[in-house]
Amino acid sequence: MEKRQKILIVDDERFNINVLADLLKPNYKIMAAINGKQALKAVQSDSPPDLILLDVMMPEMDGHEVCRKLKADEKTRDIPVIFVTAMGGESDETKGLDIGAVDYITKPISSAIVEARVKTHLSLRQQTRDLQEAKALIEVQKDRMQDELNVAKNIQLSMLPQDFPAYPDHDEFMLHASMEAAREVGGDFYDFFFIDEDHLCVCIGDVSGKGVPAALFMAISKTLIRSRAKNDLSTASILTQVNDEIDATNEAAMFVTVFLAIINIRTGNMLYTNAGHNPPFIKRSNSTLECLGSRHGPVIGAMDGMTYKEDKTLLAKNDLVFLYTDGVTEAFDSESNLFSEKRLADLLSLRKYVSVEDIINSTVSEVNRFQGDAEQADDITVLAIEFLGQPKGKPVQNLIITIRNSFSEIDKVNQRFNTFADYCGIPKTLIQKVNIVFDELLHNIISYAYNDNKEHDIIIELEFSGNRLSIAITDDGIPFNPLEAKKPDTELSLEEREIGGLGIHLVRNLMDKVSYKRQVDKNVISLTKQIQV
Amino acid sequence: MEIQTRDTNDIKVVELIGKLDTNTSPDAETHLNKLIKEGVKKILVNLEKLDYVSSAGLRVLLSTNKQLQSTSGLLRICNLNEVVQEIFDISGFSSIFNVFSTESEALNDF
Repeated sequence: MEKRQKILIVDDERFNINVLADLLKPNYKIMAAINGKQALKAVQSDSPPDLILLDVMMPEMDGHEVCRKLKADEKTRDIPVIFVTAMGGESDETKGLDIGAVDYITKPISSAIVEARVKTHLSLRQQTRDLQEAKALIEVQKDRMQDELNVAKNIQLSMLPQDFPAYPDHDEFMLHASMEAAREVGGDFYDFFFIDEDHLCVCIGDVSGKGVPAALFMAISKTLIRSRAKNDLSTASILTQVNDEIDATNEAAMFVTVFLAIINIRTGNMLYTNAGHNPPFIKRSNSTLECLGSRHGPVIGAMDGMTYKEDKTLLAKNDLVFLYTDGVTEAFDSESNLFSEKRLADLLSLRKYVSVEDIINSTVSEVNRFQGDAEQADDITVLAIEFLGQPKGKPVQNLIITIRNSFSEIDKVNQRFNTFADYCGIPKTLIQKVNIVFDELLHNIISYAYNDNKEHDIIIELEFSGNRLSIAITDDGIPFNPLEAKKPDTELSLEEREIGGLGIHLVRNLMDKVSYKRQVDKNVISLTKQIQV
Repeated sequence: MEIQTRDTNDIKVVELIGKLDTNTSPDAETHLNKLIKEGVKKILVNLEKLDYVSSAGLRVLLSTNKQLQSTSGLLRICNLNEVVQEIFDISGFSSIFNVFSTESEALNDF
């Protein structure tokens, strides 16, 4: 049952009070006061009236005076006041309304009019209260939303490396990047980090959606990429795993476009995978502009169980790789023209830039200039890396040997390696140690990595640079890690069985670093040995 | 790999020339087993002309040693080069085998 609203009737004549009271009693609670002083006291009570019917002509304090006092007090200001009086001229009415009354009823009163006016003004009063409450709620929500936007922005900013120059100690490359967030955070990110001494990983991405969910998803994606890349030198393999992991936890059907590259900063080899992202540009040292257009799979997080591919390109001295998100190409001006890929391509190829910082800053300011007054719709993210080639005096030698999976081929490997090693000036003792390593590992692989009787290729990649020899042995057999395998021959005595691990023990001791990785569908063993000069 | 044998008194000196790895170990094993079957009790394996040995080669030497021991025979090894010595050290075989730097030292130990 709704609470009955309360009406205060103020009149110096009891008779008038009673007339009004009798009229209104059936529907409202009634309070009465016979002079101004009493009226003011009544409104200060614990349950003030919802409406006041106020006589004007009263001794000591007239109605106008009472009304002024009521309107001056914050607590009573909002209670609607209706003057009830014999004074009926227009100027009287106006005066009353000016003082702050909401209406004016002339005596002799008409019951119907009094009832109607009371009802109307009480209803108006209620509506006003409701509106004020709603407005307060909206303010709170607005503040909360603004806080959320700040949270999202803070998440995004805190996750992106912002310290430039990024690697002042490295003279093999120069790198610069920038991310300008839209008002509503769009989930763009970039990242760069070293996987090992020779391999720099660089990536850029764009999460679907906006606000805090996008910022959180961006944080997850970026972290997963970093963590998977720790043990993996294949961009296809990294993104394949990241995709599987993201899909498993992704109930919001969010996805992220990613371009991931791993650059060997000694050789300039760049391995890359594009998962639905804007194709990056390479500005070659001769100023030609190349677009890396191939796609190696869908956006990350869209489909379970995808296997991503990868491509290679070789960076020569002063080649520059330019990564960006669609915040650049899809920026629009106040006439809804798009910045477009063509404009970006022209910008990159037609101008001369003095540094990576220059190209980044120029691009960003061009986009801002193009945008003009139009609001920035999406995060604008760009990253540029210029390959500077070999530091002086450190030439690189490479060799790839491919053999069949048969024991007789092991000699071939050693012969070709010996020639290569002689050419590189590798000392004889190390050559012999590597021969032993090849003997142990290749024998194991050929014996245990295949469960069919088919011919398979085993690929041995060699690199010698900076007095360091790096070897990678890749086979396409079943998942098999020779570094862990023990010879399964149980007919050997305990002593003889222990020798099963002997070969691997030798390998580990003859080389500086030995590791195994399963990359998509291949086994890869990596070894390095630093030569003390 | 080439195998050359000669006799010094009642000691069979077996020279392994080249490398002792998974491909060449079977030959060495066959040869040494034959000697033991023929009744040879004292074998000196001279590795002066051996470039390197892998785990397969170590296994052959171990097996030869055990067979000789079971017939109360003796196995000695001499003239290890730098790499082979390192392999013996890493594998712990330096402590299992009687290893000598020169042939004459080894011959005196029988």
